[in-house]
Amino acid sequence: MASSKPLIEELDNTAPMQAENQQGNLSIIVRGFIDMFPLCVAVIPWGILCGSLAIQVGLSPWQAQAMSLFVFAGAAQLAGMQLIGLGSPAMPILSSTFVISSRHLLYSAVFQSYVKDLPLFKRIVFAFFLTDEMFALTNAYIAKYKRFCYVYAVASGIAFYVMWNLATLVGIVAGNNIDNLQAYGLEFAIAATFIALVVPAIKDKPVLMSVLASGVSVLILELLAFEYALIASTFIGMFAGYFSARKSVSRNMGDQYTAKQEQSDE
Amino acid sequence: MSNDLLIVLMTVITFSCRYLFFMKSLPISLSPKIQQLLQYTAPSVLTAMWVPIVFLGHKTEGAAFFHSPFLYAGLITVLASLKIKNTLAVVVVGMGSFLILNWVL
Repeated sequence: MASSKPLIEELDNTAPMQAENQQGNLSIIVRGFIDMFPLCVAVIPWGILCGSLAIQVGLSPWQAQAMSLFVFAGAAQLAGMQLIGLGSPAMPILSSTFVISSRHLLYSAVFQSYVKDLPLFKRIVFAFFLTDEMFALTNAYIAKYKRFCYVYAVASGIAFYVMWNLATLVGIVAGNNIDNLQAYGLEFAIAATFIALVVPAIKDKPVLMSVLASGVSVLILELLAFEYALIASTFIGMFAGYFSARKSVSRNMGDQYTAKQEQSDE
Repeated sequence: MSNDLLIVLMTVITFSCRYLFFMKSLPISLSPKIQQLLQYTAPSVLTAMWVPIVFLGHKTEGAAFFHSPFLYAGLITVLASLKIKNTLAVVVVGMGSFLILNWVL
Protein backbone atom coordinates (compact mmCIF):
# COMPACT_ATOMS: atom_id res chain seq x y z
CA MET A 1 0.00 0.00 0.00
CA ALA A 2 2.74 2.35 0.96
CA SER A 3 4.44 2.00 -2.38
CA SER A 4 1.29 2.74 -4.35
CA LYS A 5 1.05 6.29 -3.14
CA PRO A 6 4.09 7.64 -4.95
CA LEU A 7 2.94 5.73 -8.00
CA ILE A 8 -0.38 7.57 -8.01
CA GLU A 9 1.37 10.86 -7.52
CA GLU A 10 3.60 10.02 -10.41
CA LEU A 11 0.61 9.23 -12.56
CA ASP A 12 -1.06 12.46 -11.52
CA ASN A 13 2.04 14.35 -12.46
CA THR A 14 2.51 12.73 -15.82
CA ALA A 15 -1.12 12.96 -16.94
CA PRO A 16 -1.23 16.73 -17.47
CA MET A 17 2.25 16.61 -18.93
CA GLN A 18 1.13 14.07 -21.50
CA ALA A 19 -1.90 16.15 -22.35
CA GLU A 20 0.34 19.16 -22.76
CA ASN A 21 2.69 17.15 -24.94
CA GLN A 22 -0.14 15.96 -27.13
CA GLN A 23 -1.40 19.48 -27.53
CA GLY A 24 2.16 20.53 -28.32
CA ASN A 25 2.44 17.78 -30.90
CA LEU A 26 -0.84 18.77 -32.49
CA SER A 27 0.24 22.36 -32.87
CA ILE A 28 3.60 21.21 -34.27
CA ILE A 29 1.80 19.01 -36.81
CA VAL A 30 -0.42 21.94 -37.81
CA ARG A 31 2.71 24.10 -38.07
CA GLY A 32 4.27 21.51 -40.40
CA PHE A 33 1.15 21.45 -42.61
CA ILE A 34 1.00 25.26 -42.79
CA ASP A 35 4.69 25.59 -43.61
CA MET A 36 4.42 22.92 -46.30
CA PHE A 37 1.32 24.50 -47.87
CA PRO A 38 3.10 26.69 -50.47
CA LEU A 39 5.30 23.78 -51.49
CA CYS A 40 2.22 21.59 -51.85
CA VAL A 41 0.69 24.20 -54.16
CA ALA A 42 3.89 24.37 -56.18
CA VAL A 43 4.02 20.64 -56.70
CA ILE A 44 0.47 20.24 -58.03
CA PRO A 45 1.34 20.81 -61.72
CA TRP A 46 4.32 18.46 -61.48
CA GLY A 47 2.20 15.76 -59.90
CA ILE A 48 -0.44 16.13 -62.61
CA LEU A 49 2.27 16.04 -65.25
CA CYS A 50 3.78 12.90 -63.70
CA GLY A 51 0.41 11.11 -63.67
CA SER A 52 -0.54 11.99 -67.21
CA LEU A 53 2.93 11.30 -68.60
CA ALA A 54 2.87 7.85 -67.00
CA ILE A 55 -0.37 7.04 -68.83
CA GLN A 56 0.98 8.50 -72.08
CA VAL A 57 4.11 6.29 -72.01
CA GLY A 58 1.96 3.21 -71.48
CA LEU A 59 1.98 2.52 -67.73
CA SER A 60 -1.26 1.18 -66.28
CA PRO A 61 -3.17 3.55 -63.96
CA TRP A 62 -2.07 1.46 -60.99
CA GLN A 63 1.60 1.55 -62.07
CA ALA A 64 1.35 5.29 -62.58
CA GLN A 65 0.04 5.78 -59.05
CA ALA A 66 2.53 3.27 -57.64
CA MET A 67 5.36 5.44 -58.97
CA SER A 68 4.20 8.32 -56.80
CA LEU A 69 3.21 6.11 -53.86
CA PHE A 70 6.54 4.26 -53.64
CA VAL A 71 9.26 5.99 -55.68
CA PHE A 72 8.00 9.39 -54.47
CA ALA A 73 10.66 11.47 -56.23
CA GLY A 74 9.31 13.92 -58.78
CA ALA A 75 12.38 14.60 -60.89
CA ALA A 76 13.45 10.94 -60.91
CA GLN A 77 9.93 9.84 -61.86
CA LEU A 78 9.66 12.33 -64.74
CA ALA A 79 13.09 11.40 -66.11
CA GLY A 80 12.34 7.70 -65.75
CA MET A 81 9.05 7.99 -67.59
CA GLN A 82 10.56 9.97 -70.42
CA LEU A 83 13.08 7.16 -70.86
CA ILE A 84 10.33 4.52 -70.71
CA GLY A 85 8.51 6.49 -73.40
CA LEU A 86 11.62 6.33 -75.58
CA GLY A 87 11.71 2.56 -75.13
CA SER A 88 14.94 2.68 -73.11
CA PRO A 89 16.33 -0.49 -71.49
CA ALA A 90 16.31 -0.67 -67.70
CA MET A 91 19.90 0.26 -66.88
CA PRO A 92 19.85 3.85 -68.19
CA ILE A 93 16.55 4.40 -66.36
CA LEU A 94 17.94 3.11 -63.07
CA SER A 95 21.19 5.03 -63.38
CA SER A 96 19.28 8.25 -64.07
CA THR A 97 17.20 7.51 -60.96
CA PHE A 98 20.38 7.18 -58.96
CA VAL A 99 22.01 10.33 -60.36
CA ILE A 100 18.90 12.41 -59.67
CA SER A 101 18.41 10.90 -56.20
CA SER A 102 22.04 11.21 -55.16
CA ARG A 103 21.45 14.57 -53.44
CA HIS A 104 19.28 12.71 -50.93
CA LEU A 105 22.45 11.00 -49.71
CA LEU A 106 23.54 14.43 -48.53
CA TYR A 107 20.22 15.04 -46.77
CA SER A 108 20.53 11.72 -45.01
CA ALA A 109 24.06 12.63 -43.90
CA VAL A 110 22.90 16.04 -42.64
CA PHE A 111 20.21 14.51 -40.38
CA GLN A 112 22.30 11.51 -39.36
CA SER A 113 23.06 12.73 -35.85
CA TYR A 114 19.37 13.38 -35.12
CA VAL A 115 17.90 10.22 -36.65
CA LYS A 116 20.51 7.48 -36.35
CA ASP A 117 19.63 6.44 -32.79
CA LEU A 118 15.86 6.34 -33.28
CA PRO A 119 14.04 2.98 -33.52
CA LEU A 120 14.08 1.27 -36.92
CA PHE A 121 10.47 2.11 -37.78
CA LYS A 122 10.95 5.82 -37.09
CA ARG A 123 14.13 5.88 -39.18
CA ILE A 124 12.37 4.19 -42.10
CA VAL A 125 9.44 6.60 -41.90
CA PHE A 126 11.77 9.61 -41.76
CA ALA A 127 13.81 8.38 -44.73
CA PHE A 128 10.74 7.58 -46.80
CA PHE A 129 9.37 11.12 -46.51
CA LEU A 130 12.78 12.81 -46.91
CA THR A 131 12.23 15.01 -49.99
CA ASP A 132 13.86 18.31 -50.98
CA GLU A 133 10.88 20.09 -49.47
CA MET A 134 10.97 18.26 -46.14
CA PHE A 135 14.72 18.73 -45.98
CA ALA A 136 14.32 22.47 -46.54
CA LEU A 137 11.62 22.94 -43.91
CA THR A 138 13.30 20.75 -41.31
CA ASN A 139 16.54 22.68 -41.71
CA ALA A 140 14.71 25.99 -41.38
CA TYR A 141 13.01 24.65 -38.23
CA ILE A 142 16.36 23.68 -36.72
CA ALA A 143 17.82 27.09 -37.58
CA LYS A 144 14.84 28.86 -35.99
CA TYR A 145 14.28 26.82 -32.81
CA LYS A 146 17.81 25.44 -32.36
CA ARG A 147 16.48 21.90 -32.09
CA PHE A 148 15.45 19.03 -34.33
CA CYS A 149 11.79 18.06 -34.26
CA TYR A 150 10.88 14.62 -35.61
CA VAL A 151 7.13 15.23 -35.47
CA TYR A 152 7.43 18.47 -37.43
CA ALA A 153 9.63 16.89 -40.09
CA VAL A 154 7.45 13.85 -40.65
CA ALA A 155 4.18 15.84 -40.51
CA SER A 156 5.42 18.21 -43.21
CA GLY A 157 6.71 15.25 -45.22
CA ILE A 158 3.35 13.46 -45.05
CA ALA A 159 1.46 16.60 -46.09
CA PHE A 160 3.68 16.79 -49.15
CA TYR A 161 3.26 13.08 -49.88
CA VAL A 162 -0.52 13.29 -49.80
CA MET A 163 -0.56 16.29 -52.13
CA TRP A 164 1.91 14.67 -54.53
CA ASN A 165 -0.23 11.55 -54.79
CA LEU A 166 -3.52 13.41 -55.19
CA ALA A 167 -1.99 15.50 -57.97
CA THR A 168 -0.69 12.34 -59.63
CA LEU A 169 -4.18 10.84 -59.44
CA VAL A 170 -5.63 13.91 -61.17
CA GLY A 171 -3.02 13.51 -63.89
CA ILE A 172 -3.87 9.81 -64.33
CA VAL A 173 -7.56 10.58 -64.67
CA ALA A 174 -6.87 13.41 -67.10
CA GLY A 175 -4.46 11.16 -69.00
CA ASN A 176 -3.88 12.45 -72.50
CA ASN A 177 -5.89 15.63 -71.98
CA ILE A 178 -2.98 17.41 -70.30
CA ASP A 179 -0.93 19.71 -72.44
CA ASN A 180 1.90 22.03 -71.50
CA LEU A 181 1.33 22.54 -67.78
CA GLN A 182 4.78 24.01 -67.29
CA ALA A 183 3.64 27.08 -69.21
CA TYR A 184 1.60 28.22 -66.20
CA GLY A 185 4.79 28.98 -64.33
CA LEU A 186 3.64 27.45 -61.07
CA GLU A 187 7.16 26.25 -60.35
CA PHE A 188 7.78 29.80 -59.22
CA ALA A 189 6.13 28.81 -55.93
CA ILE A 190 9.07 26.44 -55.33
CA ALA A 191 11.54 29.24 -56.01
CA ALA A 192 9.65 31.66 -53.74
CA THR A 193 9.60 29.19 -50.87
CA PHE A 194 13.27 28.30 -51.20
CA ILE A 195 14.19 32.01 -51.32
CA ALA A 196 12.08 32.60 -48.21
CA LEU A 197 13.97 29.79 -46.45
CA VAL A 198 17.49 30.55 -47.69
CA VAL A 199 17.78 34.33 -47.44
CA PRO A 200 16.96 34.63 -43.71
CA ALA A 201 19.49 31.84 -43.07
CA ILE A 202 22.33 34.04 -44.39
CA LYS A 203 23.60 35.23 -41.05
CA ASP A 204 27.34 35.02 -41.57
CA LYS A 205 29.92 35.24 -44.31
CA PRO A 206 30.42 31.48 -44.86
CA VAL A 207 26.71 30.95 -45.56
CA LEU A 208 26.69 33.98 -47.85
CA MET A 209 29.69 32.57 -49.70
CA SER A 210 28.03 29.16 -50.10
CA VAL A 211 24.87 30.77 -51.50
CA LEU A 212 26.81 32.97 -53.94
CA ALA A 213 29.11 30.18 -55.10
CA SER A 214 26.27 27.71 -55.56
CA GLY A 215 24.06 30.27 -57.35
CA VAL A 216 26.73 31.44 -59.79
CA SER A 217 28.00 27.95 -60.57
CA VAL A 218 24.53 26.50 -61.14
CA LEU A 219 23.81 29.25 -63.69
CA ILE A 220 27.06 28.60 -65.54
CA LEU A 221 26.65 24.83 -65.45
CA GLU A 222 23.00 24.99 -66.51
CA LEU A 223 23.86 27.26 -69.43
CA LEU A 224 26.55 24.75 -70.41
CA ALA A 225 23.81 22.08 -70.17
CA PHE A 226 25.94 20.07 -67.75
CA GLU A 227 24.01 17.00 -66.68
CA TYR A 228 25.05 17.09 -63.02
CA ALA A 229 24.65 20.87 -62.58
CA LEU A 230 22.55 20.61 -59.41
CA ILE A 231 24.75 18.26 -57.41
CA ALA A 232 27.99 19.82 -58.68
CA SER A 233 26.98 23.35 -57.72
CA THR A 234 25.72 22.09 -54.37
CA PHE A 235 29.21 20.76 -53.63
CA ILE A 236 30.83 23.97 -54.90
CA GLY A 237 28.59 25.94 -52.52
CA MET A 238 29.36 23.64 -49.60
CA PHE A 239 33.12 23.92 -50.12
CA ALA A 240 32.88 27.70 -50.51
CA GLY A 241 31.14 27.94 -47.15
CA TYR A 242 33.55 25.52 -45.51
CA PHE A 243 36.71 27.27 -46.69
CA SER A 244 35.29 30.70 -45.94
CA ALA A 245 34.60 29.55 -42.36
CA ARG A 246 38.10 28.09 -41.99
CA LYS A 247 39.66 31.25 -43.32
CA SER A 248 37.78 33.44 -40.83
CA VAL A 249 38.67 31.05 -37.97
CA SER A 250 42.36 31.17 -38.85
CA ARG A 251 42.17 34.96 -39.15
CA ASN A 252 40.55 35.19 -35.71
CA MET A 253 43.27 32.97 -34.33
CA GLY A 254 45.79 35.24 -35.99
CA ASP A 255 44.16 38.24 -34.31
CA GLN A 256 44.35 36.50 -30.96
CA TYR A 257 47.97 35.69 -31.61
CA THR A 258 48.89 39.30 -32.43
CA ALA A 259 46.85 40.50 -29.43
CA LYS A 260 48.84 38.16 -27.23
CA GLN A 261 52.06 39.36 -28.75
CA GLU A 262 51.08 42.98 -28.19
CA GLN A 263 50.29 42.16 -24.58
CA SER A 264 53.63 40.50 -24.08
CA ASP A 265 55.34 43.42 -25.81
CA GLU A 266 53.88 45.75 -23.20
CA MET B 1 12.19 -5.74 -67.87
CA SER B 2 8.59 -5.37 -66.78
CA ASN B 3 7.44 -1.96 -65.62
CA ASP B 4 6.43 -3.41 -62.25
CA LEU B 5 9.96 -4.60 -61.57
CA LEU B 6 11.29 -1.26 -62.77
CA ILE B 7 9.10 0.59 -60.26
CA VAL B 8 10.30 -1.71 -57.47
CA LEU B 9 13.96 -1.09 -58.36
CA MET B 10 13.44 2.68 -58.63
CA THR B 11 11.83 2.56 -55.18
CA VAL B 12 14.81 0.67 -53.80
CA ILE B 13 17.20 3.27 -55.26
CA THR B 14 15.37 6.38 -54.04
CA PHE B 15 14.75 4.89 -50.60
CA SER B 16 18.36 3.70 -50.22
CA CYS B 17 19.70 7.18 -50.97
CA ARG B 18 17.43 8.64 -48.28
CA TYR B 19 18.14 5.93 -45.73
CA LEU B 20 21.88 5.22 -46.10
CA PHE B 21 23.24 7.39 -43.28
CA PHE B 22 20.51 6.26 -40.86
CA MET B 23 21.81 2.68 -40.92
CA LYS B 24 23.01 1.46 -37.55
CA SER B 25 25.76 -0.64 -39.09
CA LEU B 26 27.10 1.95 -41.51
CA PRO B 27 30.89 1.64 -41.66
CA ILE B 28 31.26 5.31 -42.66
CA SER B 29 31.42 7.78 -39.79
CA LEU B 30 31.24 11.46 -40.52
CA SER B 31 34.35 13.27 -39.32
CA PRO B 32 34.06 16.76 -37.76
CA LYS B 33 35.40 18.23 -41.01
CA ILE B 34 32.66 16.52 -43.04
CA GLN B 35 30.09 17.69 -40.47
CA GLN B 36 31.28 21.26 -40.96
CA LEU B 37 31.02 20.83 -44.72
CA LEU B 38 27.49 19.47 -44.35
CA GLN B 39 26.39 22.62 -42.49
CA TYR B 40 26.31 24.35 -45.86
CA THR B 41 24.21 21.70 -47.62
CA ALA B 42 20.85 23.42 -47.17
CA PRO B 43 21.78 26.92 -48.41
CA SER B 44 23.80 25.42 -51.29
CA VAL B 45 21.29 22.89 -52.58
CA LEU B 46 18.25 25.15 -52.17
CA THR B 47 20.04 27.98 -53.98
CA ALA B 48 21.02 25.58 -56.75
CA MET B 49 17.31 24.88 -57.15
CA TRP B 50 15.79 28.37 -56.94
CA VAL B 51 18.41 30.28 -58.96
CA PRO B 52 17.71 28.46 -62.28
CA ILE B 53 13.95 29.04 -61.88
CA VAL B 54 14.43 32.78 -61.29
CA PHE B 55 17.18 33.46 -63.83
CA LEU B 56 16.44 30.82 -66.47
CA GLY B 57 12.67 30.46 -65.95
CA HIS B 58 11.97 32.64 -68.98
CA LYS B 59 13.27 29.86 -71.25
CA THR B 60 10.36 27.55 -70.45
CA GLU B 61 7.94 30.20 -71.65
CA GLY B 62 10.09 31.42 -74.52
CA ALA B 63 10.11 34.96 -73.10
CA ALA B 64 13.02 37.41 -73.20
CA PHE B 65 15.23 37.65 -70.11
CA PHE B 66 14.28 41.25 -69.31
CA HIS B 67 10.59 40.50 -69.80
CA SER B 68 10.62 37.49 -67.50
CA PRO B 69 8.12 37.48 -64.62
CA PHE B 70 10.38 34.86 -63.00
CA LEU B 71 13.24 37.37 -62.81
CA TYR B 72 11.32 40.31 -61.36
CA ALA B 73 9.12 38.27 -59.02
CA GLY B 74 12.28 36.49 -57.87
CA LEU B 75 13.99 39.75 -57.04
CA ILE B 76 10.85 41.01 -55.25
CA THR B 77 10.80 37.78 -53.22
CA VAL B 78 14.46 38.24 -52.26
CA LEU B 79 13.74 41.80 -51.12
CA ALA B 80 10.61 40.67 -49.25
CA SER B 81 12.56 37.93 -47.46
CA LEU B 82 15.03 40.56 -46.24
CA LYS B 83 12.21 42.68 -44.78
CA ILE B 84 9.57 40.17 -43.63
CA LYS B 85 10.33 37.51 -41.03
CA ASN B 86 7.31 35.27 -41.69
CA THR B 87 8.08 32.65 -44.37
CA LEU B 88 4.50 32.17 -45.51
CA ALA B 89 4.03 35.95 -45.88
CA VAL B 90 7.14 36.10 -48.08
CA VAL B 91 5.82 33.28 -50.25
CA VAL B 92 2.44 35.00 -50.56
CA VAL B 93 4.14 38.27 -51.60
CA GLY B 94 6.35 36.37 -54.07
CA MET B 95 3.54 34.35 -55.63
CA GLY B 96 1.25 37.39 -55.74
CA SER B 97 3.85 39.46 -57.54
CA PHE B 98 4.55 36.60 -59.92
CA LEU B 99 0.89 36.18 -60.85
CA ILE B 100 0.52 39.94 -61.44
CA LEU B 101 3.75 40.20 -63.44
CA ASN B 102 2.91 37.09 -65.44
CA TRP B 103 -0.35 38.78 -66.44
CA VAL B 104 1.20 42.21 -67.10
CA LEU B 105 4.47 41.32 -68.85
